[in-house]
Formats: sequence, C-alpha cells, structure tokens
Amino acid sequence: MSADYRLRSPADRLRWLAASWRAAVPAATILFLLFLMTVPIVLPWPALPQLGLLGVFVWAIFQPGLMPPYVAFVLGLIADLLFGLPFGVEATLFALTALFVRIFERRFGHHRFGFDWGIAALVAVAHGGLGWWFLGIAGVDGPLRPLLLQALTTTAAYPLVVLLCARLQRSWLA
Amino acid sequence: MDWSPPSRRSASRREQNLALIGAVVSGAVIAVGVLMLLIDRVNPDQGSHLRGAALDVTTPVWSVVRAPVDGLARLNGDVSDYFDAIDKNRALAVELQASRAAAQQAGALAAENRQLRGLMKVVEPQVRLIATARLAGASSGGALRSAVISAGSRDGVRPGQPVRAASGLIGRTLETGGHAARVLLLTDPASRVPVIVERTGQAALVTGTNSPQVEVRDRISDDVPLRIGDRLVTSGDGGIFPPGIPVAVVSRVAEPPLARLVADPHGVGLVSVETAYLPVPPPPAAASAVPVPRGAVGGRAKPVAPAAIIVLKPGLSPAPAPAAKPPR
Repeated sequence: MSADYRLRSPADRLRWLAASWRAAVPAATILFLLFLMTVPIVLPWPALPQLGLLGVFVWAIFQPGLMPPYVAFVLGLIADLLFGLPFGVEATLFALTALFVRIFERRFGHHRFGFDWGIAALVAVAHGGLGWWFLGIAGVDGPLRPLLLQALTTTAAYPLVVLLCARLQRSWLA
Repeated sequence: MDWSPPSRRSASRREQNLALIGAVVSGAVIAVGVLMLLIDRVNPDQGSHLRGAALDVTTPVWSVVRAPVDGLARLNGDVSDYFDAIDKNRALAVELQASRAAAQQAGALAAENRQLRGLMKVVEPQVRLIATARLAGASSGGALRSAVISAGSRDGVRPGQPVRAASGLIGRTLETGGHAARVLLLTDPASRVPVIVERTGQAALVTGTNSPQVEVRDRISDDVPLRIGDRLVTSGDGGIFPPGIPVAVVSRVAEPPLARLVADPHGVGLVSVETAYLPVPPPPAAASAVPVPRGAVGGRAKPVAPAAIIVLKPGLSPAPAPAAKPPR
C-alpha cells in the first residue's frame, strides 16, 4: 500500500485501488505463457521453448518489484502442476532466475537488447543443466542432451517474449 | 507507475525493512523448493489430486481451441504426402500383395491357435475398452514426455492403464483428473515397456530416451543379433500392457540398439484407454511398507511389481466384462 494513502481524497483512493489490478499483469502474462506450453502438439524432442522461464526473466528486468523470487516460486509451482514434473523443480528454477536477475541488474543495470539476449541464453542453459540436476534429486533420471536442445529453442524464442512483455508494459504498466 | 524495489541508498527505514523481509522470504522459498525436491524423492505421488485438478483446468480449453492445433499437425503431414505420393503408392501396392498372403496365413494360424487353446483350456484375461479420447494437451517443453487425453476418472480411467492408437502403443496413464488424464509417452525416460522381438521371441525392455527413438534394453540372450526392421510387440509381462500390441521397429542394431516407435502420437487423433491386462491386486498390509525402487517399474508408477507374479495364474483375474463375440 502506498505510503501517502491517508493523504488522498476518497475519489483518488478509489481510482488507485481500481488501478491496482495492473500489478497482476506480469504474473498473468506468465500464466498465459505456461498455459500456451501445454498445447496438444506432441513433439519427438522436448523442443518447445520454456516460455515461462523467459517470462520470469523479462518481467524481472522490466518490473523487478512485481516479479520478486517468491512470486516466481508460486508461478513455478503452477508450471510443475501443468507439466506433471515433481513439485519444486520449476519452482526453484523460476525463483533462482528472478533472484539472479535482481542481483545482476543491481550490478549491471541498463544495457542493450543483445546483451540481455546473451544473458537469457546463459539462463536457459543453466535452466537445462540445473533442471536436470534437480530432477535427479527428485528421483527422475534422464538424459541431459534433450534438455540442452530446449535451451536452444528457448534462446530463439526470447525476442518474441520480450515483444509481448514490452507491449504489455507500454499499454498497462508504463 | 513505479514499482521498482527500494534501493539500498533509500533513506526510508520502512522501505529498508521491506527489502530485508523480501530478501529473507526469497531465500526461504528457494530453501523450501529444494526441500520439496527431497520430499518428491521419498514420496513421488504427493499432490496427485492437485495435478488432476490442474489437468481439468487446461484440457477443456484445448478441447475447444483445437482447430489451429489440428491444422498445424495436419499441415506437416499434408506437405510430405504431396511430395512423395507416387513413390508411396507404388510401395503400398507391393506391400499390399505381400500382406494379403501373410494375412491369409495368419488367419489360418489364428484359427488353429484358437482350437489348440480351446483344447488346452487356456484362460485368457479379458481386456476391456474404457474410453476413447482425443489428445488435449502435451508437455513438449519439459523433462517429462507426456500427453493429456480428454477422458478422466469420471469415465473410469485410472492411473496405470494402457493407452493405444490404432497403429500401436502410445503409453500408459499416469495421473487422472475428473475429465482428463496424463499419459506417460513411450519416449519418456521413465517409461519401460516389456516387449518381445517378434522374429526371435527374445524378451526385452523398451525404454524412452527423451528423443524420437527408444532404446531396447535388457534383451534376453543377446548373443542372437537383432536385425534392422525387427518388430517389437508387447509381451504382456508386468500386467499393464496386453500382449501383441505393436510398439516399435528396430532401427539400429549397434549397442545400444534403438527402435522407432510405430504409433506417432503427433499424428494420432483418437486414442483408446483399456483396462490393465492383469489388474494390480490390493497390496497385503505388511507388504505396503516395503519401498519399491522407482526406476524398477517405470518412473513414478504405483508399485505394479505384484502383477508380475500373478502372470503365472491368469485364472485369478476378475475379467469384469468379457468382450461380446460377434454372432456368426
């Protein structure tokens, strides 16, 4: 709640409350992206980009206050539910991503798109490797290479997610 | 509006406190996440109700918004069909002649087999069709290779039932919601299907590798070599899959042998769910405390090991509704 809430007029308070749904836009975008990933196309490789991870990464850059690690954690739990993974795999990975971006932005804020894309590629590869490790902890063993293939497609999908999030940012959150 | 988090230089104590609380909560959720992973290891079936409910949320949407997805799936097939239509037609004509002869032979053999079984009084467990459903979801973006079908526990689908298409085996049900069920595909690394090599009769396990081809493991008497093109069909061991369903065709004989799946879930429209070949008997009270190793029976399956023992005495299976014979 805003600090100067008590100083406002009733009409202003109402307007402020009515506008507060916008705080849910980043989480809603990521929910939509996660839902999009359950599209009933069965591919022979796990080649569908991890759009939810990209959403967390992009929103943590655009709106760090609206994508703290604990919100990313809850979104990750929903991702685990939707993809049938053991609970905690994507949850921990999403939370770690948001935390990484928060620390990273504090150190090297305000940079160009290409730089962010490179960092997103690193995050996608780390997501594949760490995800494989976490699945091993949870008792699900499998080969690592297909997950790294997914990191490639995730990297390729990064501009699209940035485009979507930037449009939403401009129309609702600017 | 500006929701940026308070920086360290902010003078307000309140904001500093909020930042501190945020950092502590963030660390705590990551610790909780790692703890959850450890709990998953001990108890793989936790939260199966929640998973079922999540399936029920997404499936209806994809059942309605099918048109673009079906279009995409069909486009791929259409283009390739167009380009090699003539070659395919010629190959099919040759294959048809060969298979007509084979089918006649097989018909005679089947009749003879039926007679002999009648003489020997072999009791066959009856497999019953539970539901026919569409694919209404998938997880092509994760470590778990699964599809979602639009039939669930309201239709009688339970975890651990075989799912097949007309051309061959697809997988088995993993968890169910009211109107949807998750199917573990054969390409998942946790999937294990007991098969026999049709030509030699060797028993083996078909294991997913999270890639288009599956691996043929643990082949009995592996000094008898495989050949490219050998057909693998389910053996009925383990009690989930009924014997004789086509699974894969061997595509590489060098170690480790690989096989290409017969039924491609990408192309199938409708799949059918059947009862498990030999239903899992209720575990005895003492045995329920024995931990079943996870990889032994296939991923996060319910322990189905007891069914393997029952295979030897098929007369015990309940066989709820024998399939009606056509009046001839």
